[in-house]
Amino acid sequence: MELTEKRLLVIGSNGIGKSNLLEAVELIGSLRTHRTGNDQDLIKWGEKRALLKAIANDSECLEIELRRKGGRQVRRNEKILGRQLDLIGPLRCVCFSSRDLDLVRGEPSLRRNWLDKVVQQLEPIYCDLMSRYSKLMRQRNQLWHHCRFCSAQEKNDLLDAFDIQMALVSTRIHRRRSRALRHLQPLAANWQETLSGGKEKLEFEYCPGSKLEGEEAEEPWRLSIQQQLLEQREDEERLGICRIGPHRDEVKFLLDGAPARRFGSAGQQRTILLALKLAELELLGQVYGEPPLLLLDDVLAELDPNRQLLLLEAVGTDHQCLVTATHLQAFEGDWQRYSQIIEADSFQLN
Amino acid sequence: MRQPEEKVKTFANALLSAKSKVGQCKTCFHLSAESECEICRNDSRDREQICVVADSRDLLALERTREFKGLYHVLGGLISPMDGIGPEMLQITSLIKRVDKNSIQEVILALTPSVEGDTTSLYLAKLLKPFTKVSRIAYGLPVGSELEYADEVTLSRALEGRQNME
Repeated sequence: MELTEKRLLVIGSNGIGKSNLLEAVELIGSLRTHRTGNDQDLIKWGEKRALLKAIANDSECLEIELRRKGGRQVRRNEKILGRQLDLIGPLRCVCFSSRDLDLVRGEPSLRRNWLDKVVQQLEPIYCDLMSRYSKLMRQRNQLWHHCRFCSAQEKNDLLDAFDIQMALVSTRIHRRRSRALRHLQPLAANWQETLSGGKEKLEFEYCPGSKLEGEEAEEPWRLSIQQQLLEQREDEERLGICRIGPHRDEVKFLLDGAPARRFGSAGQQRTILLALKLAELELLGQVYGEPPLLLLDDVLAELDPNRQLLLLEAVGTDHQCLVTATHLQAFEGDWQRYSQIIEADSFQLN
Repeated sequence: MRQPEEKVKTFANALLSAKSKVGQCKTCFHLSAESECEICRNDSRDREQICVVADSRDLLALERTREFKGLYHVLGGLISPMDGIGPEMLQITSLIKRVDKNSIQEVILALTPSVEGDTTSLYLAKLLKPFTKVSRIAYGLPVGSELEYADEVTLSRALEGRQNME
């Protein structure tokens, strides 16, 4: 499939594979998709492998091969990459899908996932931190089961060994998340003001899952988290959950000081969402000096005509956009201009 | 199938005898056909330093460097509760006894920088510190690589393991 215009509108009925196309672009651009974390779910039922191939900026050939057995193979210009991370770069993208509609009002994990995706695009090393943290959590949880057979001394020594690592990795995750929010906040506030006609003031409040006191600095925070982990050890043994760490982080969106999750109207929550996505787009563009790709999956029709036009205006012609919808009438005004329109019903998206 | 039967028999017997003869060194738990391995029997080695590795393959890799002149201790794995491996399944008690009984000046931990490797290192360090000096090998940039091309993960590890300039 060749993209000839800045905007690609993919039109087709449900289940035809529109979202698949966007998901493929997202996967090749950011190594993950918003729908699933499991590669097996991405391979066609009954097939052994899936191949994704994209040519970016006319010259970079990016490929991901997903296999039922043996994991992924990632290639750039036909060279196999030892680390998947090295694929990120030529095809940075921001995805906005109907699944994001719950971001403001849904569970805190949705906001953590959103933030993680932003941080990961800004600092690829973050992938390493996150996978280390989840490994630490899993090992530590198993340790509690294992501990029934060992002495109290041995148990405490092992927990200490885990806590030292957890404290260090947690500190780094907290710092990176809070830094990304600091960069996003003024941009998002600006968009919120524009989108609401100057009426609403948006603020972020980062509520870390560990107590972080005093100046932001690695050493004191690390020591403090280690102490907090130690102090909750008895509770953890009783309840079976660790209550300290970035897995308990929450990001609050405040509209004129009040939490939008509880007090915002449905319309306001959508405006916030739009402001967040636009801020993300702007930040990535600023950092890398190149506008990222915007993927709008089945979401445009969810926005009222006014917000659609504002989004169109904000995106302008800088960003390449891939948009899906079930029918062309979903697009307001100028969305159809300068666009390549594909009727997915008329050909096979396989 | 095309090999002469005699050749196949010799090969199979070699495998069988390797399986039956090769056991573990009673001191360091490295693979050995004798009750004590060549390294432990070698009098010219420094008997005051012990390098701790996860398995015999790591020991062989370190031996190829010809840099380390001390003795080894093979743990037989790394602590990993997810795989059901706790300290009691590794050669840890034997290590502590060995360090306690002999006058060991330094134990060098040479375990991979994974979650399991780091957990094992931290756990061992705590147990060994009352007896001797404990250090760990540094992780960082491979020799001959340019700083500019090093990835962030390696660079940040190299920064963590930085050393004072004397």
